[in-house]
Amino acid sequence: MIELSQVTKRFGDETAVNAIDLKIAKGKFCALVGTSGCGKSTTLRMINRLIERSDGDIILDGQAIEAYDPVKLRRRIGYVIQSTGLFPHWTVARNIGLVPRLLKWSAEDIQARVKELMELLGLPVEEFAHKYPHQLSGGQAQRVGVARALAADPDILLMDEPFGALDPITRIKLQDELASLQARLHKTVVFVTHDMDEALKLADHLVVMRDGLIVQQGTPLALLQHPKDPFVESLLGGLERGLKQAALTRVKDHMSSMGPTLPSQYRIPADFSLRQALSMMLRDHTDRLAVVDQHDVPIGELSLRKIVKEAQLEKGSMREA
Amino acid sequence: MSLLDALPTPRLGRGKHPNVVLVSLSVTMLAAVWGLDAVSVAANRIVQATGVSAMDAIGWPGVLLASLLIIAVGGLAYQPSRTNYWAALGVVVLILALMPFGLMVAGHFLIDPELPQARLGIGAGYWVLLFILMLCLIELRLKLALRRFWPVVILSSIGLVWWLCASLWLSDLALIQEFKARDRQFIQAALEHILLVSVAVSISIVVGTLLALLMRRFVKLQKSAFALLNFLQTIPSLALFGLLLAPLAWLAANVPILAQLGVSGIGNTPALIALVAYSLLPMVRNTYIALEEVSPDTLEAASAMGMRASQRFWQVRLPLALPIMLEGVRITTVQAIGLTAVAALIGAGGLGTFIFQGLGQAAMDMVLLGALPILILALVVDAGLGALAEVLRPGGVR
Repeated sequence: MIELSQVTKRFGDETAVNAIDLKIAKGKFCALVGTSGCGKSTTLRMINRLIERSDGDIILDGQAIEAYDPVKLRRRIGYVIQSTGLFPHWTVARNIGLVPRLLKWSAEDIQARVKELMELLGLPVEEFAHKYPHQLSGGQAQRVGVARALAADPDILLMDEPFGALDPITRIKLQDELASLQARLHKTVVFVTHDMDEALKLADHLVVMRDGLIVQQGTPLALLQHPKDPFVESLLGGLERGLKQAALTRVKDHMSSMGPTLPSQYRIPADFSLRQALSMMLRDHTDRLAVVDQHDVPIGELSLRKIVKEAQLEKGSMREA
Repeated sequence: MSLLDALPTPRLGRGKHPNVVLVSLSVTMLAAVWGLDAVSVAANRIVQATGVSAMDAIGWPGVLLASLLIIAVGGLAYQPSRTNYWAALGVVVLILALMPFGLMVAGHFLIDPELPQARLGIGAGYWVLLFILMLCLIELRLKLALRRFWPVVILSSIGLVWWLCASLWLSDLALIQEFKARDRQFIQAALEHILLVSVAVSISIVVGTLLALLMRRFVKLQKSAFALLNFLQTIPSLALFGLLLAPLAWLAANVPILAQLGVSGIGNTPALIALVAYSLLPMVRNTYIALEEVSPDTLEAASAMGMRASQRFWQVRLPLALPIMLEGVRITTVQAIGLTAVAALIGAGGLGTFIFQGLGQAAMDMVLLGALPILILALVVDAGLGALAEVLRPGGVR
């Protein structure tokens, strides 16, 4: 549990972060999104005291962060940055084992932990343990960066645009891996990014920042459905917002039971996103898809007309409310 | 990743273009063998020596062998490939190893055993050949992308061959005769030289590192310190020795403890002070830059992982700065080896003594007896510390 109340950071006359309130529940993935210079990285660094705030309180697990020795505080918070910050003169294994070594674990424990993490992140030990950072590709280096951050099994993980420097394909792969890691490990993650798609894909809680202020926060779906102002709307993709929202909903939430007509020849698995379904309809020139389960057995039907009608109803109910 | 990394790098063996450097070097070597005097002969150490061509010195079989080997280097370089470069390296090493035997043959032909004072001098052609062979070695090392460690190995084994020949069979050589006439002096002078350089460099490593650390702590100090060190560097070495003479003599006269410690206007003390003064700038500059240039991201990561300031310095900043700091030590040491030669003028001893004595007596061989070891010393230190710096970059980080 991380709780920020009225947190402010001033650099000289500039106010980088202006009296923000933010609560991140244990085990939740919180993404801070905004254009560069909006104060999102500063907010992140105030949590592990790389930057000391000017005003306000930050409470970590019920205790103000001043109560912790900054060095000990940082050893229990994982940290990942865009440039990886790996030590170029150390091997991959030594880089990953850094925090356990600082915490004076025994050599066997460190070795076992490094091995475990390398396997977790898809880095074969024989191949990578003795390599140096400059021998790695961008994606491999960032995997090592994540492994290093997880080494001492911290409850909290801070990530500052960790995938910003990677090519699109590697970035999406690592996003998927991070999502599945998070599903297993349930860390409290604070993730800074300027890539809204990345944030929508990963976050439980989305925080949009601008000029040091929090403009809006909530679940990704809530923000997509009700953006507060044109700025949030433009960040969320303007006209493409509908598709982004569709990407967050599953086909099975929109399917109807099979009608009297023959099922469509085009099939889509029930756990695909609505966005993928719409894309398929466009590609195959159809307005109906058969929804199938994992054994490829039809279990329902998805109709374009129904999806649109549902959206209209939703909008209507919103107006009434 | 920079744009340069994305550009295709030229690969060995792909281009069929001749290696112009090696081909022209080998043509120059041929010209030196055929056109310049290989050796010189003198009846004693004072009279003007007369030059002797290679043909007269080692006979036609010798010249033929030398020419064939040199043409082989050029020929191999005309069609470059990795194999051919290795072969050329082999031939260059062979020539270097055979050269002292050339001198032996020349001595056998040219020196009359009846004349005990007669001596063999090394001629222009020989020096040029030696110099160009070194250039060939450098070019081949670069083309074969050898680590710095290899030239050290190659050169020290060639040095061993030369040493054996010199001590066993080359007694006619003027250089050897000069050495034999004053071997004890020579060894003592060489030791003095090395001692003076080591003490001066050690002091400047300690003082320089401390100064660089202070400059990092107190930013205001930085400008004035660099200004002072730059100024020191601009004083000509002889002038600095002169400037130190009066104050040190006064100190020695007025502070008895200093006089007992051996401080005086001439000799070791002013030499050491001057050497340290000159060494400080490269030392401080490299140390300071090395420590400052460590990537801020890496350092921030170190803090963020929970390293204490001292852990961050000793485990991250210092090891990453070490190769560049060592570069400073290398520059400093090579510079000090040369400067110490000048220090002989104010009675500090060292190999410079022979240079100045030789100049006074117009005996060029004696000048060489001082100058050659200084050159070799500088080359050895340069190669050795360069190789060490390379070893300290783990995984070949650049």
